[in-house]
Amino acid sequence: MPSLRFRLCLLLLGVAAAGGGAGCAHAPPPPVQPWQREHLAKRALRFDADPMEDHFRQHWLGAREGADLGFGQPGGGCGCN
Amino acid sequence: MKRKIKAVGRALGPVQALSLLAAAWTALGAGITRAEDRVTIRGAYYREPSTRVIQPVVEISKDLPDGFDVDARYLVDTITSASAAAGTAVDTIFTEVRNEAGLRVGKNWERTRATLAYKYSAESDYWSHTFVGSLAQRFWGDTATVAASGGLSLDAVGFRGRTPPCLAGGSASCPLDVVFGGLAYTQVLSPVAIAQINLDSAYLSGFLGNPYRTAPGTGYEVLPDSRLRSAVSLRAAYYFPQSETGVQFQYRYYWDFEPGSSPNPWAISAHTLEGRVYRRLTRDLEVRLLYRQYFQNHAGLWCDVASNPGCSAMDDLNLPYLTTDPKLGPLRTEYPEVKLIWDAEALRPYRFFRWFAAGTFEISYGRYYQNDSFGNAHVLQTGYSMPY
Repeated sequence: MPSLRFRLCLLLLGVAAAGGGAGCAHAPPPPVQPWQREHLAKRALRFDADPMEDHFRQHWLGAREGADLGFGQPGGGCGCN
Repeated sequence: MKRKIKAVGRALGPVQALSLLAAAWTALGAGITRAEDRVTIRGAYYREPSTRVIQPVVEISKDLPDGFDVDARYLVDTITSASAAAGTAVDTIFTEVRNEAGLRVGKNWERTRATLAYKYSAESDYWSHTFVGSLAQRFWGDTATVAASGGLSLDAVGFRGRTPPCLAGGSASCPLDVVFGGLAYTQVLSPVAIAQINLDSAYLSGFLGNPYRTAPGTGYEVLPDSRLRSAVSLRAAYYFPQSETGVQFQYRYYWDFEPGSSPNPWAISAHTLEGRVYRRLTRDLEVRLLYRQYFQNHAGLWCDVASNPGCSAMDDLNLPYLTTDPKLGPLRTEYPEVKLIWDAEALRPYRFFRWFAAGTFEISYGRYYQNDSFGNAHVLQTGYSMPY
């Protein structure tokens, strides 16, 4: 027979799951519906629209400025310490 | 001396560029979006008073069955430089070539994307292997995305004409290891607005200096062997459908330190602000205006050798570090740029050129202003991307 502590843990998990489910049931609708996504593919609304340009920029700026990072992985292999 | 600018870029001639095209085939899935079958060719030119960099790149992306995609990239950096301002004492012209190849494989599920990537970079005295993994999950009606990435970079620094302590034991190069990771949260706010927050960190350990840069009194510069770099950044974008105009704003705050060390010999903090405006001029032509401003304080171990030739940055603190590297000094840069993006549909009626009609051409010019000894730079980039 499961111990009292084990049953208590199960009860707490059950309560948490029920609470989570209730929370999901009341989650607000997403701010954009599928039929409203027309403009989201435009370059102006994409932060990853120019990955090759970003790659070059990160490389050159990493060689000329003391800061790196911030918008993705650090550039490796530039030998620009 | 070579090390001078390495960072900036690398170069290659037209023949090499063609060989690149032939050699490059790849795949790299990227970001959260799914790849498509596409080939992209780009060229970049960077020119400042004593440095010139030419960088051709080719990249190929391909969708594969079962949700996989692959992306491969090959680039060559050719850098020609002649300047003591870059941190070396000898003013001789040199040309350095760096080759880089990368491969990325992505896998998409209904709301999840995972990628694994590898990159290899080689030049005459610097070699690097980088491994990266990432995982992104969309939720809340596909309007929110959480992405995590992490990786490891194993670099080897070579030397000519000197034998630093890290070469003791007979090894031919000194190691530089980088462990990095990042978290990003992206939220669609409305049909025309989106925002993102990023947190990135990288721990570097090993030889962190320039093998050829000298410093007064110590011969070569002396830097700590570890550095923890972190940055938090915010981005937001908004689109005005009626005028077909979009705007983006970015802000980044950066800081670094040497773990376990007090006082902190690094101590750089930096702010970056950037704004972009996208405007459709005709059905096929779009213009992007960009302005970026960056400013940082100097590192604790930096020495202002220009105004104080005999300076010793950290003597008072009984720390042995010293550098004259301009990028570790007090710095402010500005970068305005204009870019044109043209969907080449107008070429379709013309016999030979119709082959390019499905693609997109782009060209940009920017002016990079620096208030240090490197001087201002011209930055020209061009590219063509086509589905296949």
